[in-house]
Amino acid sequence: MDTVIALVVVLSLALLWVVAAVHKIRGFEVFAVVLADYRLVPARATGACAAAVIALELGLGICLLIPATRSLALAGSALLLVAYAAAIAVNLHRGRRFIDCGCAGVAGHQALSGWLVARNLLLAALALAAMLPVPARPLIWLDAITVAAAVGAAALLYAVSNRLIANGPDLARLRG
Amino acid sequence: MSGALLASNVLLWILVLVMGGVILALVRQIGVLYERVAPAGALVVGSGPKAGEAAPEFTVGDLANDEHRVGGKRSDDLSTLLFFLSPTCPVCKTLLPALKSIAREERKWLNVLLASDGARKEHEAFVAEYRLQQFPYLLSSELGLGYRVGRLPHAVLIDPEGIIRSTGLVNSREHLESLFEANERGVATLQEYMAAEQSREEEVA
Repeated sequence: MDTVIALVVVLSLALLWVVAAVHKIRGFEVFAVVLADYRLVPARATGACAAAVIALELGLGICLLIPATRSLALAGSALLLVAYAAAIAVNLHRGRRFIDCGCAGVAGHQALSGWLVARNLLLAALALAAMLPVPARPLIWLDAITVAAAVGAAALLYAVSNRLIANGPDLARLRG
Repeated sequence: MSGALLASNVLLWILVLVMGGVILALVRQIGVLYERVAPAGALVVGSGPKAGEAAPEFTVGDLANDEHRVGGKRSDDLSTLLFFLSPTCPVCKTLLPALKSIAREERKWLNVLLASDGARKEHEAFVAEYRLQQFPYLLSSELGLGYRVGRLPHAVLIDPEGIIRSTGLVNSREHLESLFEANERGVATLQEYMAAEQSREEEVA
């Protein structure tokens, strides 16, 4: 794998975490309710857990940008993504698919679905793949264009897939 | 040769980004279309009944299969707070404690009705979980359509004569309380009240 590909994954994940954390901070009260709805932490600890999740996301986003902490942050990202996937899977299994996902961007309008589990696992796999050793090569200016454009395209596609997943239940409702 | 490859590469990236943007715009439009056809959760279309107009009349059943009349003149002289919510809406859940205390404090003149639509089972679980048994819980998509309910949570305050006193999207406890302020001061909509408040604050500042 080329170093540019790994860089695209790292920067995209960093963007994802920072955006997710900012959304959760701006709607902290709502996020606390979403977290409580997952029924995974004791009700009394919800506020503290919500703050911890936000701190973790923000920390991962920043550590991904620092070369020295990058591989640790990649492992952490994969772990957190798998944890989110597990939280969603547990609630799907419990039949609580009507609760909100709490995912960034479409907060308040995304019910749980198997697609969210698949999406998180895919992202976790990408994070792990970016940890593989890559042969070093000098970066040229064209690489900067590639990285910037690819991160932008990844962000757009992520928003698209989020929106498609959010549309799913509405479509199912229309089909009756 | 490498110049041609370079040009094509850069051009392709530009196209990828533009197409990503176009696809995002398209799925958002599709999302809006879904919301428009499915009442609870539609975007505010501005064509719904406004404050000062007669509330559309409906007779709808609640979860306990009791019939409730919404709109029209009431014989018991109570106002009605129609609160549209959904189990998938976290903002609605943050407002439930405030709604309960308002229902308790204002019970002399106010009758609170919850309204939603969709699968009955989910709503029953929701009512049990958040202990909403004290409120009639209406389940009807016609109601949401009739009041052109936009984003949730949405509240409509109807006076005993069946006239809408205030209506709008409620995002916070302050919003919910200002609904009553709007009623007392005779301001048409919640948003108008908020705008007036804001300009007053700006004047002071």
